[in-house]
Amino acid sequence: MTVEPLAASTSETAKLRETGGPLLQTENLTIRFGGLTALDNVNVAVARGQVRAIIGPNGAGKSTFFNCVTGVLRPSSGRVLLNGNDIAGLPPDRISQKGIARSYQITNLLPNATVLENVRIAAQSRRHRWSMVTHYRSYRDIVDKAEAALSAVGLLGKAYELAANLSHGEQRTLEIAVAMATDPQLLCLDEPTAGMSAAETRETVALVRRIAEHLTILIVEHDMEVVMGLANRITVLHYGRVLAEGTPSEIQQNPRVLEVYLKT
Amino acid sequence: MRDRQPLVFWTGFAIIVALLIASPLVLPPFWARFVTEILIWGLLAMSSDILIGYTGMVSFGHSAFFGLGMYGAAFVLLETKPPSLWAALAAGLLAAAAAAAFVAYFSTRLREIYFAITTLIFSQIFYIVIFTWTELTGGENGLTFSRPALAIPGLFSLRFTPMVLHWFVLAIVVLSYLLLRRITQSPFGMVLQSIRENEARTRAIGYPIERYKMVAVMLSGLFAGLAGVLYALQNQFAAPNFVFFVLSGEVVIYNVIGGIGTLVGPILGAAFFLLLREGLSRFFTEYYLIPVGLMFIAMVIFMPQGLLGFARRWLNR
Ligand SMILES: Nc1ncnc2c1ncn2[C@@H]1O[C@H](COP(=O)(O)OP(=O)(O)O)[C@@H](O)[C@H]1O
Ligand SMILES: [Mg+2]
Repeated sequence: MTVEPLAASTSETAKLRETGGPLLQTENLTIRFGGLTALDNVNVAVARGQVRAIIGPNGAGKSTFFNCVTGVLRPSSGRVLLNGNDIAGLPPDRISQKGIARSYQITNLLPNATVLENVRIAAQSRRHRWSMVTHYRSYRDIVDKAEAALSAVGLLGKAYELAANLSHGEQRTLEIAVAMATDPQLLCLDEPTAGMSAAETRETVALVRRIAEHLTILIVEHDMEVVMGLANRITVLHYGRVLAEGTPSEIQQNPRVLEVYLKT
Repeated sequence: MRDRQPLVFWTGFAIIVALLIASPLVLPPFWARFVTEILIWGLLAMSSDILIGYTGMVSFGHSAFFGLGMYGAAFVLLETKPPSLWAALAAGLLAAAAAAAFVAYFSTRLREIYFAITTLIFSQIFYIVIFTWTELTGGENGLTFSRPALAIPGLFSLRFTPMVLHWFVLAIVVLSYLLLRRITQSPFGMVLQSIRENEARTRAIGYPIERYKMVAVMLSGLFAGLAGVLYALQNQFAAPNFVFFVLSGEVVIYNVIGGIGTLVGPILGAAFFLLLREGLSRFFTEYYLIPVGLMFIAMVIFMPQGLLGFARRWLNR
Protein backbone atom coordinates (compact mmCIF):
# COMPACT_ATOMS: atom_id res chain seq x y z
CA MET A 1 0.00 0.00 0.00
CA THR A 2 1.20 3.49 -0.80
CA VAL A 3 0.17 4.78 2.60
CA GLU A 4 2.96 2.98 4.40
CA PRO A 5 6.08 4.84 3.24
CA LEU A 6 4.20 8.11 3.66
CA ALA A 7 3.31 7.24 7.23
CA ALA A 8 6.88 6.14 7.89
CA SER A 9 8.34 9.37 6.57
CA THR A 10 6.00 11.58 8.58
CA SER A 11 6.77 9.65 11.74
CA GLU A 12 10.42 10.08 10.86
CA THR A 13 10.12 13.86 10.65
CA ALA A 14 8.04 13.80 13.82
CA LYS A 15 10.85 11.90 15.50
CA LEU A 16 13.35 14.42 14.22
CA ARG A 17 11.30 17.18 15.79
CA GLU A 18 10.90 15.35 19.06
CA THR A 19 14.57 14.60 19.41
CA GLY A 20 15.38 18.07 18.16
CA GLY A 21 17.53 16.59 15.39
CA PRO A 22 19.37 19.32 13.51
CA LEU A 23 17.50 21.23 10.84
CA LEU A 24 20.72 21.68 8.89
CA GLN A 25 23.79 19.52 9.13
CA THR A 26 26.93 19.40 7.03
CA GLU A 27 29.12 16.29 7.03
CA ASN A 28 32.74 16.70 5.91
CA LEU A 29 31.71 19.49 3.55
CA THR A 30 34.65 20.19 1.26
CA ILE A 31 35.05 22.40 -1.78
CA ARG A 32 38.19 23.07 -3.79
CA PHE A 33 38.79 25.83 -6.33
CA GLY A 34 41.76 24.55 -8.27
CA GLY A 35 44.51 24.26 -5.69
CA LEU A 36 42.67 26.18 -2.98
CA THR A 37 40.62 24.21 -0.49
CA ALA A 38 38.04 26.84 0.46
CA LEU A 39 36.12 24.49 2.77
CA ASP A 40 37.92 21.57 4.38
CA ASN A 41 35.78 18.87 6.03
CA VAL A 42 33.41 21.32 7.66
CA ASN A 43 30.97 19.75 10.13
CA VAL A 44 28.25 22.02 11.39
CA ALA A 45 24.91 21.07 12.91
CA VAL A 46 22.27 23.76 13.35
CA ALA A 47 19.41 22.87 15.68
CA ARG A 48 15.88 23.98 14.98
CA GLY A 49 15.18 27.42 16.37
CA GLN A 50 18.85 28.26 16.79
CA VAL A 51 20.59 31.43 15.69
CA ARG A 52 23.97 30.24 14.51
CA ALA A 53 26.65 32.72 13.63
CA ILE A 54 29.56 31.89 11.35
CA ILE A 55 32.52 34.15 11.94
CA GLY A 56 36.10 34.23 10.75
CA PRO A 57 38.58 36.50 9.02
CA ASN A 58 38.08 37.63 5.44
CA GLY A 59 38.52 34.77 2.99
CA ALA A 60 37.85 32.14 5.67
CA GLY A 61 35.12 30.55 3.52
CA LYS A 62 31.97 31.92 5.12
CA SER A 63 30.25 33.02 1.89
CA THR A 64 31.46 29.82 0.22
CA PHE A 65 29.78 27.85 3.01
CA PHE A 66 26.50 29.68 2.25
CA ASN A 67 26.97 29.04 -1.45
CA CYS A 68 27.33 25.31 -0.84
CA VAL A 69 24.31 25.19 1.43
CA THR A 70 22.10 27.12 -1.03
CA GLY A 71 23.22 25.27 -4.16
CA VAL A 72 25.11 28.12 -5.84
CA LEU A 73 28.25 25.97 -5.62
CA ARG A 74 28.46 22.20 -5.82
CA PRO A 75 30.58 20.78 -3.01
CA SER A 76 33.59 18.68 -4.05
CA SER A 77 32.67 16.15 -1.38
CA GLY A 78 30.65 15.78 1.79
CA ARG A 79 26.95 16.06 2.50
CA VAL A 80 24.51 18.82 3.30
CA LEU A 81 21.50 17.48 5.17
CA LEU A 82 18.26 19.39 5.56
CA ASN A 83 15.90 17.55 7.91
CA GLY A 84 18.13 14.53 7.37
CA ASN A 85 17.87 14.60 3.53
CA ASP A 86 20.96 15.19 1.44
CA ILE A 87 20.57 18.33 -0.65
CA ALA A 88 24.20 18.76 -1.71
CA GLY A 89 24.49 19.46 -5.43
CA LEU A 90 20.82 20.35 -5.96
CA PRO A 91 20.31 23.57 -7.93
CA PRO A 92 19.40 26.75 -6.00
CA ASP A 93 15.76 26.71 -7.09
CA ARG A 94 15.22 23.21 -5.69
CA ILE A 95 16.93 24.12 -2.45
CA SER A 96 14.82 27.25 -2.18
CA GLN A 97 11.70 25.14 -2.63
CA LYS A 98 12.92 22.84 0.15
CA GLY A 99 12.96 25.77 2.54
CA ILE A 100 16.33 27.49 2.63
CA ALA A 101 16.38 31.21 1.85
CA ARG A 102 19.29 33.60 1.82
CA SER A 103 20.28 37.21 1.60
CA TYR A 104 23.46 38.14 -0.20
CA GLN A 105 26.60 39.83 1.04
CA ILE A 106 26.45 42.07 -2.03
CA THR A 107 22.94 43.37 -2.60
CA ASN A 108 21.24 41.26 -5.25
CA LEU A 109 17.78 42.57 -6.15
CA LEU A 110 15.69 43.43 -9.20
CA PRO A 111 16.83 47.06 -9.38
CA ASN A 112 14.30 48.21 -12.00
CA ALA A 113 11.32 46.65 -10.25
CA THR A 114 9.38 48.19 -7.39
CA VAL A 115 10.03 47.17 -3.82
CA LEU A 116 6.67 45.41 -3.74
CA GLU A 117 7.39 43.52 -6.97
CA ASN A 118 10.73 42.31 -5.61
CA VAL A 119 8.91 40.69 -2.71
CA ARG A 120 5.79 39.67 -4.66
CA ILE A 121 7.79 37.65 -7.19
CA ALA A 122 9.44 35.79 -4.31
CA ALA A 123 6.07 35.04 -2.69
CA GLN A 124 4.73 33.92 -6.07
CA SER A 125 7.41 31.22 -6.32
CA ARG A 126 5.34 29.04 -3.96
CA ARG A 127 1.92 29.45 -5.62
CA HIS A 128 0.50 30.25 -9.08
CA ARG A 129 3.96 30.43 -10.58
CA TRP A 130 3.01 28.91 -13.93
CA SER A 131 -0.26 30.77 -14.36
CA MET A 132 -0.29 32.46 -17.78
CA VAL A 133 -3.68 33.98 -18.46
CA THR A 134 -4.62 35.75 -15.25
CA HIS A 135 -3.25 39.18 -14.41
CA TYR A 136 -0.64 38.91 -11.68
CA ARG A 137 -2.32 41.58 -9.58
CA SER A 138 -5.52 39.57 -9.30
CA TYR A 139 -3.79 36.99 -7.07
CA ARG A 140 -4.57 38.88 -3.88
CA ASP A 141 -3.12 36.12 -1.69
CA ILE A 142 0.34 36.76 -3.15
CA VAL A 143 0.11 40.54 -2.94
CA ASP A 144 -1.11 40.27 0.66
CA LYS A 145 1.79 38.02 1.56
CA ALA A 146 4.27 40.40 -0.06
CA GLU A 147 2.78 43.35 1.78
CA ALA A 148 2.92 41.45 5.04
CA ALA A 149 6.63 40.73 4.48
CA LEU A 150 7.28 44.40 3.73
CA SER A 151 5.30 45.48 6.75
CA ALA A 152 7.30 43.08 8.94
CA VAL A 153 10.58 44.72 7.91
CA GLY A 154 9.16 48.25 7.94
CA LEU A 155 9.33 48.93 4.20
CA LEU A 156 5.62 48.99 3.37
CA GLY A 157 5.74 52.78 2.99
CA LYS A 158 8.21 52.39 0.13
CA ALA A 159 6.29 49.62 -1.67
CA TYR A 160 5.96 51.52 -4.94
CA GLU A 161 9.48 52.90 -5.15
CA LEU A 162 12.06 51.31 -7.42
CA ALA A 163 14.45 49.05 -5.53
CA ALA A 164 17.34 50.96 -7.12
CA ASN A 165 16.15 54.17 -5.46
CA LEU A 166 16.29 52.81 -1.91
CA SER A 167 19.16 53.68 0.39
CA HIS A 168 21.84 51.05 0.90
CA GLY A 169 20.45 50.11 4.30
CA GLU A 170 16.92 49.81 2.95
CA GLN A 171 18.12 47.57 0.13
CA ARG A 172 19.78 45.27 2.68
CA THR A 173 16.49 45.15 4.58
CA LEU A 174 14.58 44.45 1.37
CA GLU A 175 16.89 41.46 0.83
CA ILE A 176 15.62 40.03 4.09
CA ALA A 177 11.98 40.67 3.12
CA VAL A 178 12.53 38.87 -0.21
CA ALA A 179 14.01 35.87 1.59
CA MET A 180 11.16 35.82 4.12
CA ALA A 181 8.52 35.91 1.39
CA THR A 182 9.55 32.41 0.27
CA ASP A 183 8.38 30.95 3.63
CA PRO A 184 11.72 29.36 4.55
CA GLN A 185 12.54 27.01 7.41
CA LEU A 186 16.10 28.26 7.47
CA LEU A 187 17.18 31.82 6.77
CA CYS A 188 20.81 32.45 5.80
CA LEU A 189 21.96 36.05 6.17
CA ASP A 190 25.32 36.98 4.68
CA GLU A 191 26.58 40.09 6.48
CA PRO A 192 23.15 41.71 6.72
CA THR A 193 24.49 44.86 8.38
CA ALA A 194 27.41 45.42 6.00
CA GLY A 195 27.71 49.11 5.20
CA MET A 196 24.86 50.11 7.50
CA SER A 197 24.85 53.09 9.85
CA ALA A 198 24.80 52.44 13.60
CA ALA A 199 21.07 53.21 13.75
CA GLU A 200 20.28 50.93 10.82
CA THR A 201 22.39 48.18 12.37
CA ARG A 202 20.39 48.43 15.60
CA GLU A 203 17.13 48.16 13.65
CA THR A 204 18.40 45.15 11.71
CA VAL A 205 19.47 43.40 14.91
CA ALA A 206 15.98 43.98 16.33
CA LEU A 207 14.46 42.67 13.09
CA VAL A 208 16.58 39.51 13.06
CA ARG A 209 15.70 38.92 16.70
CA ARG A 210 11.99 39.15 15.86
CA ILE A 211 12.42 36.74 12.94
CA ALA A 212 14.41 34.35 15.15
CA GLU A 213 11.33 33.79 17.30
CA HIS A 214 9.88 31.51 14.65
CA LEU A 215 12.76 30.67 12.30
CA THR A 216 16.16 29.03 12.38
CA ILE A 217 18.86 31.47 11.35
CA LEU A 218 22.37 31.12 10.01
CA ILE A 219 24.20 34.43 10.00
CA VAL A 220 27.59 35.58 8.79
CA GLU A 221 28.60 38.80 10.44
CA HIS A 222 31.71 40.88 11.01
CA ASP A 223 30.37 43.14 13.72
CA MET A 224 31.18 41.25 16.95
CA GLU A 225 28.67 43.22 18.95
CA VAL A 226 25.93 42.10 16.55
CA VAL A 227 27.14 38.49 16.67
CA MET A 228 27.29 38.35 20.45
CA GLY A 229 23.89 39.98 20.73
CA LEU A 230 22.13 37.61 18.35
CA ALA A 231 23.74 34.19 18.28
CA ASN A 232 23.06 31.23 20.56
CA ARG A 233 26.00 29.41 19.08
CA ILE A 234 29.01 30.43 17.04
CA THR A 235 31.18 28.57 14.55
CA VAL A 236 34.58 30.05 13.78
CA LEU A 237 36.00 29.32 10.35
CA HIS A 238 39.65 29.83 9.55
CA TYR A 239 41.19 28.94 6.17
CA GLY A 240 38.17 26.78 5.39
CA ARG A 241 38.36 24.77 8.62
CA VAL A 242 36.26 24.89 11.78
CA LEU A 243 38.58 26.46 14.31
CA ALA A 244 36.13 26.47 17.19
CA GLU A 245 32.48 26.12 18.03
CA GLY A 246 30.59 27.12 21.14
CA THR A 247 28.41 29.59 22.93
CA PRO A 248 29.26 33.30 22.60
CA SER A 249 31.03 33.36 25.97
CA GLU A 250 33.02 30.21 25.19
CA ILE A 251 34.12 31.69 21.88
CA GLN A 252 35.09 35.00 23.49
CA GLN A 253 37.43 33.16 25.84
CA ASN A 254 38.84 30.66 23.36
CA PRO A 255 42.60 31.32 23.09
CA ARG A 256 42.88 30.03 19.49
CA VAL A 257 40.07 32.35 18.40
CA LEU A 258 41.67 35.30 20.16
CA GLU A 259 44.95 34.54 18.47
CA VAL A 260 43.38 34.53 14.99
CA TYR A 261 41.48 37.73 15.64
CA LEU A 262 44.46 39.53 17.19
CA LYS A 263 46.69 38.63 14.25
CA THR A 264 44.33 40.18 11.67
CA MET B 1 -3.35 59.00 -12.90
CA ARG B 2 -3.51 55.26 -12.27
CA ASP B 3 -7.15 55.10 -13.33
CA ARG B 4 -6.81 57.22 -16.44
CA GLN B 5 -4.06 55.20 -18.07
CA PRO B 6 -6.13 52.11 -19.02
CA LEU B 7 -8.77 54.40 -20.51
CA VAL B 8 -6.18 56.15 -22.67
CA PHE B 9 -4.74 52.78 -23.66
CA TRP B 10 -8.03 51.18 -24.69
CA THR B 11 -9.14 54.33 -26.54
CA GLY B 12 -5.91 54.32 -28.54
CA PHE B 13 -6.28 50.59 -29.11
CA ALA B 14 -9.85 50.99 -30.43
CA ILE B 15 -8.86 53.84 -32.77
CA ILE B 16 -5.94 51.90 -34.23
CA VAL B 17 -8.00 48.74 -34.72
CA ALA B 18 -10.77 50.78 -36.37
CA LEU B 19 -8.25 52.37 -38.76
CA LEU B 20 -6.84 48.95 -39.60
CA ILE B 21 -10.33 47.58 -40.26
CA ALA B 22 -11.01 50.48 -42.60
CA SER B 23 -7.66 50.40 -44.38
CA PRO B 24 -8.56 48.00 -47.24
CA LEU B 25 -11.72 50.01 -47.89
CA VAL B 26 -9.89 53.30 -48.38
CA LEU B 27 -6.35 52.44 -49.51
CA PRO B 28 -5.41 51.55 -53.09
CA PRO B 29 -4.83 47.78 -53.49
CA PHE B 30 -1.01 47.99 -53.38
CA TRP B 31 -0.97 49.79 -50.04
CA ALA B 32 -3.86 47.76 -48.64
CA ARG B 33 -1.80 44.64 -49.29
CA PHE B 34 1.23 46.36 -47.80
CA VAL B 35 -0.67 46.95 -44.54
CA THR B 36 -1.68 43.28 -44.39
CA GLU B 37 1.94 42.32 -44.82
CA ILE B 38 3.06 44.72 -42.07
CA LEU B 39 0.59 43.05 -39.72
CA ILE B 40 2.12 39.65 -40.47
CA TRP B 41 5.70 40.83 -39.97
CA GLY B 42 4.50 42.70 -36.89
CA LEU B 43 3.18 39.45 -35.43
CA LEU B 44 6.54 37.80 -36.09
CA ALA B 45 8.37 40.72 -34.46
CA MET B 46 6.01 40.65 -31.49
CA SER B 47 6.61 36.93 -31.00
CA SER B 48 10.34 37.51 -30.77
CA ASP B 49 9.83 40.35 -28.28
CA ILE B 50 8.71 37.72 -25.75
CA LEU B 51 12.32 36.55 -25.77
CA ILE B 52 14.29 39.72 -26.52
CA GLY B 53 12.28 42.22 -24.54
CA TYR B 54 10.72 40.19 -21.75
CA THR B 55 13.17 37.38 -21.03
CA GLY B 56 16.37 39.05 -22.19
CA MET B 57 17.29 36.35 -24.74
CA VAL B 58 18.16 37.43 -28.28
CA SER B 59 16.98 34.78 -30.72
CA PHE B 60 18.37 34.49 -34.22
CA GLY B 61 16.20 31.47 -34.85
CA HIS B 62 12.89 33.08 -35.62
CA SER B 63 13.24 32.55 -39.34
CA ALA B 64 13.14 28.80 -38.65
CA PHE B 65 9.93 28.99 -36.61
CA PHE B 66 8.35 31.29 -39.18
CA GLY B 67 9.52 29.04 -42.01
CA LEU B 68 8.22 25.87 -40.40
CA GLY B 69 4.85 27.51 -39.88
CA MET B 70 4.93 28.41 -43.55
CA TYR B 71 5.97 24.96 -44.83
CA GLY B 72 3.69 23.17 -42.38
CA ALA B 73 0.73 25.06 -43.81
CA ALA B 74 2.00 24.56 -47.36
CA PHE B 75 2.15 20.74 -47.07
CA VAL B 76 -1.40 20.52 -45.80
CA LEU B 77 -2.74 22.91 -48.43
CA LEU B 78 -1.11 20.81 -51.14
CA GLU B 79 -2.24 17.46 -49.72
CA THR B 80 -5.83 18.15 -48.67
CA LYS B 81 -8.67 18.38 -51.22
CA PRO B 82 -10.28 20.83 -50.93
CA PRO B 83 -7.48 22.61 -49.07
CA SER B 84 -8.42 23.08 -45.42
CA LEU B 85 -7.55 26.34 -43.67
CA TRP B 86 -7.84 24.95 -40.17
CA ALA B 87 -5.76 21.87 -40.91
CA ALA B 88 -3.11 24.14 -42.46
CA LEU B 89 -3.15 26.35 -39.39
CA ALA B 90 -2.84 23.35 -37.07
CA ALA B 91 -0.01 21.82 -39.11
CA GLY B 92 1.92 25.12 -39.27
CA LEU B 93 1.62 25.66 -35.53
CA LEU B 94 2.58 22.07 -34.80
CA ALA B 95 5.65 22.22 -37.04
CA ALA B 96 6.77 25.52 -35.52
CA ALA B 97 6.17 24.28 -31.98
CA ALA B 98 8.14 21.10 -32.65
CA ALA B 99 11.05 23.11 -34.07
CA ALA B 100 10.88 25.50 -31.12
CA ALA B 101 10.86 22.62 -28.63
CA PHE B 102 13.91 21.14 -30.34
CA VAL B 103 15.82 24.44 -30.38
CA ALA B 104 14.70 25.30 -26.84
CA TYR B 105 15.92 22.00 -25.46
CA PHE B 106 19.46 22.57 -26.70
CA SER B 107 19.80 26.33 -26.39
CA THR B 108 18.20 27.42 -23.11
CA ARG B 109 21.04 26.12 -20.99
CA LEU B 110 23.22 28.71 -22.69
CA ARG B 111 23.20 32.39 -22.06
CA GLU B 112 23.56 35.62 -23.94
CA ILE B 113 25.70 35.36 -27.07
CA TYR B 114 25.90 31.57 -26.79
CA PHE B 115 22.14 31.32 -26.83
CA ALA B 116 21.94 33.66 -29.82
CA ILE B 117 24.53 31.68 -31.75
CA THR B 118 22.89 28.35 -30.97
CA THR B 119 19.51 29.54 -32.21
CA LEU B 120 21.23 30.83 -35.35
CA ILE B 121 22.95 27.51 -35.99
CA PHE B 122 19.76 25.53 -35.50
CA SER B 123 17.81 27.79 -37.81
CA GLN B 124 20.51 27.34 -40.45
CA ILE B 125 20.23 23.58 -40.05
CA PHE B 126 16.51 23.84 -40.76
CA TYR B 127 17.33 26.05 -43.74
CA ILE B 128 19.77 23.53 -45.19
CA VAL B 129 17.35 20.65 -44.70
CA ILE B 130 14.55 22.57 -46.41
CA PHE B 131 16.83 23.77 -49.20
CA THR B 132 18.24 20.35 -50.02
CA TRP B 133 15.25 18.05 -49.45
CA THR B 134 13.86 18.90 -52.86
CA GLU B 135 11.28 16.08 -53.21
CA LEU B 136 9.48 17.25 -50.11
CA THR B 137 10.02 21.01 -50.09
CA GLY B 138 10.63 21.90 -53.71
CA GLY B 139 14.15 22.96 -52.76
CA GLU B 140 15.16 26.34 -54.06
CA ASN B 141 11.85 26.84 -55.90
CA GLY B 142 9.74 26.29 -52.82
CA LEU B 143 6.10 25.27 -52.95
CA THR B 144 3.14 26.99 -54.51
CA PHE B 145 -0.46 26.21 -53.72
CA SER B 146 -3.91 27.71 -53.82
CA ARG B 147 -5.67 29.48 -51.00
CA PRO B 148 -8.27 27.58 -49.02
CA ALA B 149 -11.66 29.07 -48.28
CA LEU B 150 -12.41 30.74 -44.95
CA ALA B 151 -14.98 28.20 -43.93
CA ILE B 152 -16.57 26.50 -41.00
CA PRO B 153 -18.15 23.34 -42.47
CA GLY B 154 -21.93 23.49 -42.25
CA LEU B 155 -21.91 27.15 -41.20
CA PHE B 156 -20.36 29.33 -43.86
CA SER B 157 -17.72 29.52 -46.53
CA LEU B 158 -16.04 32.72 -47.73
CA ARG B 159 -13.58 33.16 -50.52
CA PHE B 160 -10.28 34.71 -49.37
CA THR B 161 -10.41 37.96 -51.30
CA PRO B 162 -7.61 40.39 -50.36
CA MET B 163 -10.09 42.21 -48.12
CA VAL B 164 -11.31 39.10 -46.32
CA LEU B 165 -7.71 38.01 -45.93
CA HIS B 166 -6.78 41.38 -44.43
CA TRP B 167 -9.55 41.16 -41.85
CA PHE B 168 -8.68 37.56 -41.07
CA VAL B 169 -5.02 38.51 -40.54
CA LEU B 170 -6.05 41.55 -38.51
CA ALA B 171 -8.29 39.44 -36.27
CA ILE B 172 -5.51 36.93 -35.63
CA VAL B 173 -2.88 39.60 -34.97
CA VAL B 174 -5.16 41.54 -32.60
CA LEU B 175 -6.10 38.37 -30.69
CA SER B 176 -2.44 37.34 -30.54
CA TYR B 177 -1.52 40.76 -29.22
CA LEU B 178 -4.18 40.61 -26.50
CA LEU B 179 -3.12 37.11 -25.52
CA LEU B 180 0.60 37.93 -25.47
CA ARG B 181 -0.08 41.12 -23.52
CA ARG B 182 -1.97 39.12 -20.92
CA ILE B 183 0.79 36.50 -20.76
CA THR B 184 3.38 39.21 -20.12
CA GLN B 185 1.26 40.47 -17.22
CA SER B 186 0.66 37.01 -15.75
CA PRO B 187 2.67 35.43 -12.95
CA PHE B 188 4.56 33.49 -15.65
CA GLY B 189 5.32 36.73 -17.52
CA MET B 190 6.57 38.36 -14.34
CA VAL B 191 8.99 35.47 -13.88
CA LEU B 192 10.35 36.02 -17.40
CA GLN B 193 10.95 39.68 -16.62
CA SER B 194 12.58 38.74 -13.35
CA ILE B 195 14.93 36.42 -15.27
CA ARG B 196 15.77 39.31 -17.58
CA GLU B 197 16.56 41.56 -14.62
CA ASN B 198 18.52 39.12 -12.50
CA GLU B 199 18.74 35.47 -13.46
CA ALA B 200 20.71 34.22 -10.45
CA ARG B 201 18.36 35.99 -8.06
CA THR B 202 15.30 34.53 -9.78
CA ARG B 203 16.75 31.04 -9.45
CA ALA B 204 17.59 31.63 -5.82
CA ILE B 205 13.97 32.42 -4.90
CA GLY B 206 12.88 29.08 -6.30
CA TYR B 207 12.25 29.32 -10.05
CA PRO B 208 13.63 26.61 -12.38
CA ILE B 209 15.08 29.04 -14.92
CA GLU B 210 15.71 26.57 -17.74
CA ARG B 211 12.12 25.37 -17.73
CA TYR B 212 10.79 28.92 -17.89
CA LYS B 213 13.12 29.74 -20.75
CA MET B 214 12.07 26.62 -22.62
CA VAL B 215 8.42 27.50 -22.32
CA ALA B 216 9.21 31.07 -23.39
CA VAL B 217 11.05 29.88 -26.51
CA MET B 218 8.20 27.50 -27.39
CA LEU B 219 5.58 30.18 -26.89
CA SER B 220 7.57 32.60 -28.96
CA GLY B 221 8.12 29.99 -31.68
CA LEU B 222 4.42 29.18 -31.76
CA PHE B 223 3.45 32.77 -32.54
CA ALA B 224 6.28 33.05 -35.07
CA GLY B 225 4.85 29.94 -36.73
CA LEU B 226 1.42 31.56 -36.76
CA ALA B 227 2.92 34.49 -38.66
CA GLY B 228 4.44 31.99 -41.09
CA VAL B 229 1.03 30.39 -41.73
CA LEU B 230 -0.50 33.81 -42.40
CA TYR B 231 2.31 34.70 -44.79
CA ALA B 232 1.78 31.44 -46.67
CA LEU B 233 -1.93 32.24 -46.97
CA GLN B 234 -1.25 35.72 -48.25
CA ASN B 235 1.38 34.82 -50.82
CA GLN B 236 0.40 31.27 -51.73
CA PHE B 237 3.95 30.08 -51.65
CA ALA B 238 6.59 28.81 -49.24
CA ALA B 239 10.22 29.54 -50.08
CA PRO B 240 13.52 28.66 -48.39
CA ASN B 241 14.81 32.23 -48.22
CA PHE B 242 12.25 32.89 -45.47
CA VAL B 243 14.03 30.28 -43.35
CA PHE B 244 17.42 31.91 -43.93
CA PHE B 245 18.94 33.66 -40.91
CA VAL B 246 18.84 37.12 -42.55
CA LEU B 247 15.12 37.20 -41.78
CA SER B 248 15.88 36.52 -38.10
CA GLY B 249 18.23 39.49 -38.15
CA GLU B 250 15.54 41.72 -39.62
CA VAL B 251 13.17 40.64 -36.86
CA VAL B 252 15.73 41.68 -34.26
CA ILE B 253 16.04 45.04 -36.05
CA TYR B 254 12.24 45.55 -35.96
CA ASN B 255 12.41 45.00 -32.21
CA VAL B 256 15.28 47.39 -31.62
CA ILE B 257 13.82 50.10 -33.86
CA GLY B 258 10.36 49.85 -32.35
CA GLY B 259 11.30 49.40 -28.71
CA ILE B 260 11.75 46.05 -27.00
CA GLY B 261 9.59 44.82 -24.16
CA THR B 262 6.48 46.61 -25.38
CA LEU B 263 4.86 44.20 -27.91
CA VAL B 264 3.45 47.18 -29.84
CA GLY B 265 6.91 48.63 -30.44
CA PRO B 266 8.12 45.72 -32.62
CA ILE B 267 4.99 46.05 -34.83
CA LEU B 268 5.76 49.73 -35.19
CA GLY B 269 9.37 48.87 -35.93
CA ALA B 270 8.30 46.43 -38.64
CA ALA B 271 6.03 49.06 -40.21
CA PHE B 272 8.75 51.69 -40.10
CA PHE B 273 11.43 49.39 -41.54
CA LEU B 274 9.21 48.10 -44.36
CA LEU B 275 7.98 51.57 -45.31
CA LEU B 276 11.52 52.89 -45.25
CA ARG B 277 12.73 50.05 -47.43
CA GLU B 278 9.84 50.52 -49.82
CA GLY B 279 10.47 54.26 -50.06
CA LEU B 280 14.24 54.11 -50.29
CA SER B 281 14.42 51.23 -52.76
CA ARG B 282 12.58 53.47 -55.23
CA PHE B 283 15.38 56.02 -55.10
CA PHE B 284 18.43 53.93 -54.32
CA THR B 285 17.47 50.72 -56.13
CA GLU B 286 19.59 47.84 -54.81
CA TYR B 287 21.74 50.15 -52.67
CA TYR B 288 18.81 50.96 -50.38
CA LEU B 289 20.43 48.98 -47.56
CA ILE B 290 23.09 51.68 -47.15
CA PRO B 291 20.69 54.47 -46.10
CA VAL B 292 18.64 51.92 -44.12
CA GLY B 293 21.79 50.89 -42.25
CA LEU B 294 22.81 54.49 -41.54
CA MET B 295 19.33 55.28 -40.31
CA PHE B 296 19.37 52.20 -38.08
CA ILE B 297 22.67 53.24 -36.52
CA ALA B 298 21.38 56.77 -35.94
CA MET B 299 18.25 55.43 -34.27
CA VAL B 300 20.14 53.10 -31.98
CA ILE B 301 22.29 56.04 -30.88
CA PHE B 302 19.61 58.70 -30.55
CA MET B 303 16.56 56.62 -29.61
CA PRO B 304 17.96 53.74 -27.59
CA GLN B 305 14.47 52.88 -26.35
CA GLY B 306 13.08 52.68 -29.86
CA LEU B 307 10.32 54.60 -31.60
CA LEU B 308 7.75 53.75 -28.96
CA GLY B 309 9.95 54.76 -26.03
CA PHE B 310 10.81 57.98 -27.83
CA ALA B 311 7.16 58.74 -28.56
CA ARG B 312 6.15 57.99 -25.00
CA ARG B 313 8.73 60.31 -23.54
CA TRP B 314 7.78 63.00 -26.01
CA LEU B 315 4.07 62.65 -25.12
CA ASN B 316 4.76 62.72 -21.38
CA ARG B 317 6.60 66.03 -21.60
N1 LIG C 1 33.93 30.92 -7.13
C1 LIG C 1 35.18 30.95 -6.62
N2 LIG C 1 36.24 30.60 -7.39
C2 LIG C 1 37.50 30.61 -6.89
N3 LIG C 1 37.80 30.96 -5.65
C3 LIG C 1 36.80 31.33 -4.82
C4 LIG C 1 35.43 31.35 -5.27
N4 LIG C 1 34.65 31.77 -4.24
C5 LIG C 1 35.48 32.00 -3.21
N5 LIG C 1 36.77 31.74 -3.53
C6 LIG C 1 37.92 31.81 -2.63
O1 LIG C 1 37.61 31.06 -1.49
C7 LIG C 1 38.06 31.69 -0.32
C8 LIG C 1 36.90 31.96 0.62
O2 LIG C 1 36.11 33.01 0.11
P1 LIG C 1 34.77 33.50 0.82
O3 LIG C 1 33.94 32.35 1.12
O4 LIG C 1 34.17 34.57 -0.03
O5 LIG C 1 35.32 34.17 2.16
P2 LIG C 1 34.53 34.97 3.28
O6 LIG C 1 34.74 34.18 4.52
O7 LIG C 1 35.22 36.30 3.38
O8 LIG C 1 33.12 35.10 2.90
C9 LIG C 1 38.77 32.96 -0.77
O9 LIG C 1 40.15 32.69 -0.85
C10 LIG C 1 38.18 33.22 -2.12
O10 LIG C 1 39.10 33.90 -2.93
MG1 LIG D 1 31.90 36.75 2.47
